[in-house]
Amino acid sequence: MTDDIHALDEEAFFDEVYTFQHWFDSVEGYLHDTRFGRKHPTSEVPSEGRREALISTLCNYCVGETAALEASSGLVVIAPNRALKVFLATQAADEARHLEVFYRRLAELGVHDPEAEIPKRASASLLEFKRSLLELVDARDWDAAIFAQNVVLESMEFTTFGTHMRRTDDATADMLARILRDERRHIGFGETQLGRRLHADPVLKARLSRVRARLDPLVLASFTESLEALGVARGDRPELAKDYLQTVGRLGVE
Amino acid sequence: MSQPSPAREIGVDRDGRRRYELLDDTGFDEVPKKYRKFYRRWRGPGDSLAPNEAFCPVCKIVVRSSRELREGDKIYCMACMTRLRIGLSDDGILEARAVY
Repeated sequence: MTDDIHALDEEAFFDEVYTFQHWFDSVEGYLHDTRFGRKHPTSEVPSEGRREALISTLCNYCVGETAALEASSGLVVIAPNRALKVFLATQAADEARHLEVFYRRLAELGVHDPEAEIPKRASASLLEFKRSLLELVDARDWDAAIFAQNVVLESMEFTTFGTHMRRTDDATADMLARILRDERRHIGFGETQLGRRLHADPVLKARLSRVRARLDPLVLASFTESLEALGVARGDRPELAKDYLQTVGRLGVE
Repeated sequence: MSQPSPAREIGVDRDGRRRYELLDDTGFDEVPKKYRKFYRRWRGPGDSLAPNEAFCPVCKIVVRSSRELREGDKIYCMACMTRLRIGLSDDGILEARAVY
């Protein structure tokens, strides 16, 4: 293979990136020498008010990551070819890692039973989103499930984690920064796969528009709540929806 | 804020494009080692793109090429695994667009 990435033909590029080997070689750069997803050695705990807000936010992140873990695992079964199955297996591994590091951070913050704490603090709209996403997977609706997971959920997480990372303690920021690196692959995968399908099937656009109308208010509401809990002023929040709206705009799913 | 990118101009192509030697290491750690020189992080307001660089609209990093980019060029963002084509914005500025 040539060393100039841009000289590759399209087939060679996607043959390269949708592999476990590529995933190993990529995550090695930012996960090597980390422990539970962090290089930052301290387990600092914020002051009480901030700690409570952080616990609530992380509990909601856990709901989102559990949804993505279960959905991406289920999508492996219905993926149309081997390369896509392999990519989704790497995504499932990423989501499991995210869930694990969030649980670890919750333990450091004094949450000894996350399984009990998460339902108490979870946003109703995010739980509803999770249920809807898993229904799409159970119904073997590949396009709608990839849209819900890799476009709607992942775009919102990408922006929310990035915003959160810039205004939190060092340990949490380090953890989120390494999760964001995984999220780049997930959002790109979703956009490329759906972009191809939408090009080949114009009817799909209208169907995904209906899925979007149903789902994106749920996930938008839940991440807005998270940012409120983190004290992000309303005026600083328009970025939350901007990246997501740009993505659906590029895909033409209005 | 803006810092020089680790690339050295090494001449001009037959078609008049500037060529660059991409120097390791940009500090970008999200792709396999041998491809890291083709990418760097966007440093936010105050950062700017060199003639051999484009901003990935999908995952918001900077994609780098060993030659000056022009309209119609195809490049890859390996961080989000997206194929991009260089186009002209309404303002006449070169921009990368996702190609499916």
